[in-house]
Amino acid sequence: MDDQGCPRCKTTKYRNPSLKLMVNVCGHTLCENCVEMLFVRGSGNCVQCNTPLRKSNFRLQLFEDPAIDKEVEIRKRVLKIYNKRDSDFPSLGEYNDYLEQVEEIVFNLTNNVDIESTKQIMEQYQRENKDLIQRNKAKLTREQEELEEILLLEQQDSEQRRLENLQEEQRQLQAKRKNKQALLDELESSLLPASILLAQHKERAAQLENQIEKQKQTVKPATIFSTGILMGQTVSLAPVVRLEEELYVYQPLRIQTLGPAVPELEHLARLGYLNHVRTATPQDVAGGYTAGLACHRAIQDAFSGLFPSFT
Amino acid sequence: MYHNSSQKKFWIFDKEAKLDQFRQEANQKFHSKALGLRKPGINESMFLEPREEKVLFRHYEKRLLDFCSVFKPVMPKSVVGTACMYFRRFYLNNSLMDYHPRTIMLTCAYLSCKVDEFNVSSTQFVGNLQESPAGQERALEQILEYELLLIQQLNFHLVVHNPYRPLEGFLIDLKTRYPLLENPEMMRKSADDFLNRASMTDVGLLFSPSQIALTAVLNSAARAGLNMETYLTECMGLKEDKETLSKMYDVMRRITTLIKEYELPKVEEVNMCKQKLERIHAEFTTNTNLKRKHGYEDDDHVVKKPLVTEEEWSDEDLDAL
Repeated sequence: MDDQGCPRCKTTKYRNPSLKLMVNVCGHTLCENCVEMLFVRGSGNCVQCNTPLRKSNFRLQLFEDPAIDKEVEIRKRVLKIYNKRDSDFPSLGEYNDYLEQVEEIVFNLTNNVDIESTKQIMEQYQRENKDLIQRNKAKLTREQEELEEILLLEQQDSEQRRLENLQEEQRQLQAKRKNKQALLDELESSLLPASILLAQHKERAAQLENQIEKQKQTVKPATIFSTGILMGQTVSLAPVVRLEEELYVYQPLRIQTLGPAVPELEHLARLGYLNHVRTATPQDVAGGYTAGLACHRAIQDAFSGLFPSFT
Repeated sequence: MYHNSSQKKFWIFDKEAKLDQFRQEANQKFHSKALGLRKPGINESMFLEPREEKVLFRHYEKRLLDFCSVFKPVMPKSVVGTACMYFRRFYLNNSLMDYHPRTIMLTCAYLSCKVDEFNVSSTQFVGNLQESPAGQERALEQILEYELLLIQQLNFHLVVHNPYRPLEGFLIDLKTRYPLLENPEMMRKSADDFLNRASMTDVGLLFSPSQIALTAVLNSAARAGLNMETYLTECMGLKEDKETLSKMYDVMRRITTLIKEYELPKVEEVNMCKQKLERIHAEFTTNTNLKRKHGYEDDDHVVKKPLVTEEEWSDEDLDAL
């Protein structure tokens, strides 16, 4: 039953691989054919939940779970209204509370919890923050524009670089061709033997190659890495200077109890003290109580301050 | 624990004379304060002397213990001990003529219930007074009024280490390490009794609770005709330390003497002092603390009745307990 299918015509992806599932605001699926059939007039009710829907609101289902599609849709809508930024809040804590509130609203709308009151809250918010919402919307579009501008600049840059490269290549080709032409001319007109001329030509060709290579290398030196970090910058990789400090040495706590030594809590049972106190009931033990605790305390109290001080 | 408590630091004194000195000072302070008012008809002979204060103090302390012993629900011993210690500490630096012990003693009991986690509501607490509901209301009002004063006078040192738990510790230790004693449980009764009597003396301001508890144990052993010196030498590790041992004995002797010396004041003496005290309070409380209250009552619809209930809620009602 994993296979997705239309709940109305029961077609599945397996039987019809070209099946297109659609989803509307209520989060219930329908296949494209059913949508065409049911919503011929442009509007109608959902087959499953009877919510009035419009045909234009049907979207292609992107996720396997239609509820996610619904949530994405709702989130888009909510964020159009709740478009405050962190710079609109005096503290991070308040911004986080705000984000939490937004999540709460999205969750409520998605899962049909208190829809009416949530909608009221949204409307109230929208009314109260009309100006801010408008401003933030404007801000958003402005930012979008800036981003596009940057993209455009980048494109122009790369275009120019491409052109330069092209010109360079052509120049080199021309130089090579000229060289070849010169060899032919010399072979034609010169009195020197052909082997010498060929050797000279080879030398010149090699020189030319060298020149091109050099040029390529000289063109290269970029000042920044692709990540935008300056090349000259040296990152200090030297190890952090080691701090020499005196290490902490544990000193066992010494308490002057002014009395005889009290046996350790762990040894009470071995020394037989616990035979003389009430054993702990299972209910006591559940809370972390043991008979040793009461016994230890009584003995501590008995021995503490027992000896007269020598003052 | 006791060894680093405020009790050891601030509320243990080395000599009985010092305690007497504090009380004398408090008494004297009241004298000069009262005389400073220059009211007609006030003279030295009106005031309580330190000796008379002591009589009354003992009387009200016994009253406090009696009140606690019949308290419903049954009060744990440590709560009683704490209340008693509060009462003692309070009147170390205050005179009975400053604040009436009848109110202070109830406040002490009320506060110690809170501090020792013995949960009683305030109405439940005053419900233990043999009083009319109106009288209980009044008592509660007074308790709450004096509660903060009491805490302040205790210097906010509210934890009191009582000798009851140390006694349990000693009994456990005896059962475990001192097989010479056949039945330590039989000593419990007389040791408890010893501690109850100790709470009515100054030993709580002079010695540590463990010392008092050990004295109680050894005392009840001696009564049963047992000698427990080997417990001190063997189990407490005092065999080599003759100096500490002799000091321990000295401490125990002092505790025992103090407790033996205690006697309840005679009734006629108490009555005489009480009359004096009532007269002083009638004279002075009206123009100090309770002035506001009395004025408020005069404005109220009943003028006569509060006076009656005031009369009603007196020592005689507590006697009925």
